[in-house]
Amino acid sequence: MIEDQPTIPGDADKPEPGLTPDPASDYREGDVIHTAPEFAVADADVLAPERGDRIEGVSLWRDARRRLLRNKLAVFGLVVVGIITVASLAGPYIIQKLTGHPPDYIPPDAALIKSFPPFTAPDGSFSWTHPMGTDKQGRDLLALVLQGGQISLMVGIISTLMSLIIGVSYGAVAGYLGGRIDNIMMRLVDVLYAVPYIILVIVLLSMFKSQTARGQLILLFVALGAVSWLTMARIVRGQVLSLKNQEFVLAAKATGVSTPRIIFRHIVPNALGPVIVYATLTIPTVMLTEAFLSYLGFGVQPPLASWGSLASEGIQNIGIFPWQLICPGVTMALTLFSLNFLGDGLRDALDPQGSRQ
Amino acid sequence: MLSAFTLQMDRQECLSYLQMLRFIIRRLVITIPTILVVITITWGLIRLAPGNFYTGEKSIPKAIEANIREHYGLDQPWHVQYRRTMGRILRLDFGTSLSYTGQSVNVIIARGLPVSATIGMLAYLLALVVGAIVGSIAALKQNSKWDYGSMALAMLGISVPNFVLGPILVLFFSLTLYWLPPSRWEGFISKNLILPVITLSALYMAYIARLTRAGMLEVLRSDYIRTARAKGLSESQVLIRHALRGGLLPVVSFTGPALAFLLTGTVVVEQIFVLPGLGNYFIQAALNRDEPLILGIVAFIAITLLLMNLLVDIAYACMDPRIRY
Repeated sequence: MIEDQPTIPGDADKPEPGLTPDPASDYREGDVIHTAPEFAVADADVLAPERGDRIEGVSLWRDARRRLLRNKLAVFGLVVVGIITVASLAGPYIIQKLTGHPPDYIPPDAALIKSFPPFTAPDGSFSWTHPMGTDKQGRDLLALVLQGGQISLMVGIISTLMSLIIGVSYGAVAGYLGGRIDNIMMRLVDVLYAVPYIILVIVLLSMFKSQTARGQLILLFVALGAVSWLTMARIVRGQVLSLKNQEFVLAAKATGVSTPRIIFRHIVPNALGPVIVYATLTIPTVMLTEAFLSYLGFGVQPPLASWGSLASEGIQNIGIFPWQLICPGVTMALTLFSLNFLGDGLRDALDPQGSRQ
Repeated sequence: MLSAFTLQMDRQECLSYLQMLRFIIRRLVITIPTILVVITITWGLIRLAPGNFYTGEKSIPKAIEANIREHYGLDQPWHVQYRRTMGRILRLDFGTSLSYTGQSVNVIIARGLPVSATIGMLAYLLALVVGAIVGSIAALKQNSKWDYGSMALAMLGISVPNFVLGPILVLFFSLTLYWLPPSRWEGFISKNLILPVITLSALYMAYIARLTRAGMLEVLRSDYIRTARAKGLSESQVLIRHALRGGLLPVVSFTGPALAFLLTGTVVVEQIFVLPGLGNYFIQAALNRDEPLILGIVAFIAITLLLMNLLVDIAYACMDPRIRY
């Protein structure tokens, strides 16, 4: 699902930067690359005349922000993601304050049927107590969904950060060193690309199944992070190839800056645009994969719950209690939908002449 | 002069075939280590994990377990086992399953494959047809409400997980309207296939629509389309014979990753709709720690995927004359 992550359909028709090292194709007029070197000089800021550099530098990102804010769908995505994030973080505490029960509180009454539809009180009348209804044990579904959101978002963000760290380091090193090392490193990526990694993740998660929910969650982070860095490595390598022969790198070399420092302080910051775009689009894919694994029973384990595991519990009673699937499912779909729009918007904003005309 | 021209053409063609051959060989050289890597990783994961097939719910007497281990060669040192397993798999003999006692993995795969392949292929065909049409319409009417509507729908298709979509379809079409059966496998041609195929194809439909739109937009703007129009071809001819061919190129290159997607998709769809496909066997094998079956299915999937990818790349080269290897 994630892998061969063609999450960015727009990118698929671009020449693969990893395969054809053609700097010219990566380098366009008005591209991020152009105006970015101000990051590189940050080191030598003391020497640089303060004003001239700064103003020039801010304008690119401000420009991108302006373009992003003009894109209605992207703003919609940003707002929805913001609301859901804040609600997931603060919601469970607010609910606990309001009702006096923790989010996964099971009411002790001996009622035979414990699942109530949204906005319904036990006697069938309208009520605000459970806006999403209750699950099969009588717990408030809204509280569970908000709490599950914490886990789902956490999986998305931490795994993406992991893939970011691995992918950026790997791609930058390969691209900068070039030659035989680059060749070997990228052949390895080619080999790994062809691996049906989701199958391997299932094997990994089922074999090393942890006794504790927390252990399984950490395993999930590692597994998802470890398989989603390949495309990131290719993107970064392509960027680095086009950056490494520019004057500011030569200048850094001439002043005796060490190679790791050149890579991570001077080149990587200049390749940030595509990296941010791709990272934004990796989050929804990773979350989707997590949900998929949780549905199959290999992902998040009880007592922890994510949107995926809540939905998969809801599926068991789809005929009688459909809201138990629909509420977490729709929340999740809405989040992914918004993240995807945000990612698309970012791409259009940071790379105005990119593949999406 | 004409013959000189054809001669030159021939030489070029010949050269390109040679290059193609070199490309295929180079890809095969990558393919084989990839398969080895996949099998080794899987084998290593199964072996490194604590516990094994016999640490299940039922405890077996030590002596019996020792007997079984000897029978399956599990008492040998690890490198001997590794070499033996590897050799067997490379001869495409995947051994005998542990949980389906006495059944060979090859037979199990042969039983599950037709089911998965049928659903997968039907889903991909549906996705291709619908996606290409929707994507072309969106591109032709760029920035109209058709464009925005279909692209929002496509984004929805990408964002709704298939294990949410499937049950919702079942809820609507089977449990509310009573139109279609909710699950079960009843042969290759039956109404039972409709819902699984739709569930599986939603994601690809969405991707293909987006890719077609992007590809078509680029192509519609190119010079050769202007030329085709200028020489007086009808609009439909321009579209079908010229634009679509170039516009669908990104879709062709998506086929490789799509196959990987289809595999994971079928795992879920087979679970939801209770279909006896390869994915179902795989999940069971992973839960039971049935080592030969896991290894067999993983190896089989890896080999299929790599060969398919190779075919896709060759097809791509044939369709796009600009690509030379």
